[in-house]
Amino acid sequence: MKHARILATALAVGLAPIAAKAQSMSPMRGEINSFTDVFAVRVFPANPYDRKIRVEIHVYDQDFQPVDARISPDIFQLASQASRSVLVVVPFDGAAERKVRICTESIPFPNQQTQIRAQICGKFFGRRKS
Amino acid sequence: MTLFRAVCGAALLVASIDEAALATTQNVIFNGTIAPTCTLVVATNGTMTASPDLQSLSSHNSGGSAGTVTLTTTGGVSLSVDPVTTMTVPSADSTSTTWTPTYSAAGAHAIGETGSASSITTPGADLVSVHLAGTKGGSNRFANGNYQATVTLRCE
Repeated sequence: MKHARILATALAVGLAPIAAKAQSMSPMRGEINSFTDVFAVRVFPANPYDRKIRVEIHVYDQDFQPVDARISPDIFQLASQASRSVLVVVPFDGAAERKVRICTESIPFPNQQTQIRAQICGKFFGRRKS
Repeated sequence: MTLFRAVCGAALLVASIDEAALATTQNVIFNGTIAPTCTLVVATNGTMTASPDLQSLSSHNSGGSAGTVTLTTTGGVSLSVDPVTTMTVPSADSTSTTWTPTYSAAGAHAIGETGSASSITTPGADLVSVHLAGTKGGSNRFANGNYQATVTLRCE
């Protein structure tokens, strides 16, 4: 299982682009082939604000139901204009392929009457190879 | 002998000219691919105010204001708002409220106020206005106290 995760991670590294600033998350699309029972995606949330924000990463299925994925890290503080990588490992749960949304969420101005949560979601398609 | 030298010299000259011509042009090809991307920057949160009959608490009412968000995209994305699922209301408010989030966009793309998803196919930047309206029916009224809601604006 450990080797499988390492292989899935290696596949994710191949998918990962160079992280760009002033984007909330990249990439926003991806297809991943995996030879294991999980597939991995590396995404790069970015903070376009001029101050630190709290960022949460969530994984949803096509109906926006939460997916039990491993997210490292899933909640973190991101400095102004900074970007960092987040590794998401999604189980196939016995299926041959799986579509998920990986979403970067933040509420930059909390504790106000009507606050806005900005959510950037990428769509990713994992395909299990035998 | 003179003729032989002239012929050899001419042959060398032609050969060197030909070599130089072969090395003059090479194409350097550049490729670039831009995947769909989206940036949302929340500029201001919204403010809701009550209507005179106290059956509406909305950013559309007098004194209320929309939240504003700057959207920048390459196109190939969609913009939407989620239904409001969590709402903080004062303890005196025990009656049901229907919450309706909407948004509109102005700039590179003109999107009229809607609660549905909008497909954005072309690149550009927009100022997105996010509204939230709560309504009560029958004899129900909004109560004294603090209300707080979170509207999720999604770009995917």
